[in-house]
Amino acid sequence: MAKLIGLDKLANYFRVIKHNGGILGSIKTLLRTDDLKFGTLVGVDKLGNKYFENNLYFYGRNRWVVYHEKFGLNYDGSLVPSEWYGWLHYKTDYLPHEDPGRPKHKWMIQDWSENLSGSDKQYVPYGTTRTKVEGWTPPK
Amino acid sequence: MEKMLSGVKLYSVCSRVTPRTLAVSGRTYYKYVNDKEESLAFKDLIDRGIHTSFLTEICRGFFVAFGHIFKEPATINYPFEKGPLSPRFRGEHALRRYPSGEERCIACKLCEAICPAQAITIEAEERADGSRRTTRYDIDMTKCIYCGFCQEACPVDAIVEGPNFEFSTESHEELLYNKDKLLSNGDKWESEIASNIHADHLYR
Repeated sequence: MAKLIGLDKLANYFRVIKHNGGILGSIKTLLRTDDLKFGTLVGVDKLGNKYFENNLYFYGRNRWVVYHEKFGLNYDGSLVPSEWYGWLHYKTDYLPHEDPGRPKHKWMIQDWSENLSGSDKQYVPYGTTRTKVEGWTPPK
Repeated sequence: MEKMLSGVKLYSVCSRVTPRTLAVSGRTYYKYVNDKEESLAFKDLIDRGIHTSFLTEICRGFFVAFGHIFKEPATINYPFEKGPLSPRFRGEHALRRYPSGEERCIACKLCEAICPAQAITIEAEERADGSRRTTRYDIDMTKCIYCGFCQEACPVDAIVEGPNFEFSTESHEELLYNKDKLLSNGDKWESEIASNIHADHLYR
């Protein structure tokens, strides 16, 4: 009955407000992510990004990430670590800590960084071999 | 319709062995694609006049737009939500390592040979322990066409096209990857690369 007259939509509306921490929190979230949703927190990655799921939304919108507050408005799509990448892209339904197949070698890079292009830490190409032609310095 | 089909009926009655194509070749089928003349009956004239004077089409348009405000949007809110991706997705390249940490690439140069864009450059030398390894493994990512032939050619699964597509840069030179960059890509993405290879292993 409640569904017939659309009361469930109203209930969802209050759930969304509650999930985002009241009216002020909702305004903040709306400014930052352009969207207001509610869902269950399924995990937090090593950067502090939170991952949510709510299958009420259709496929493609039912899993999402909220980047950690420290990134402010400088969030970037490449801030999702590779462990969470597959889940967020609907490749697997396993959460990273549940997935038995994920390797954990000690040589794997642990500290994740976003795409650093344009910053002072950007990748700059360099040769990995000795030069084949060496410059001639004229004798003095 | 009755008129159009009458020809067909005639043929099929005349002879049972006549192929059906013959009936069609009678050119009795056609579709009228031009504007149809509007009816000038009094009722239709009044109807059209009322629709025009009360702007009903504009109102109906407004209702459609208003209804869409309450609908769930069909777009995904990148970068918070991301679209579905295949385990076979061919993105940024990476050089993988064995579980021991030893690099896989043995400098066979098959990827260099098969690369249709000639984006890969390899130089090899004997390492101090006598194994054959690359000293240079460069990929020009601006030449690469992401065809995936390099990972198909690789006998040791060393070069792979990883799942990452978020590696856009602000300058050209940042896309001229060398061996260190490719290896660090592999170290960064191994978790996802290994999962993708495992997801696809039954089909290879």
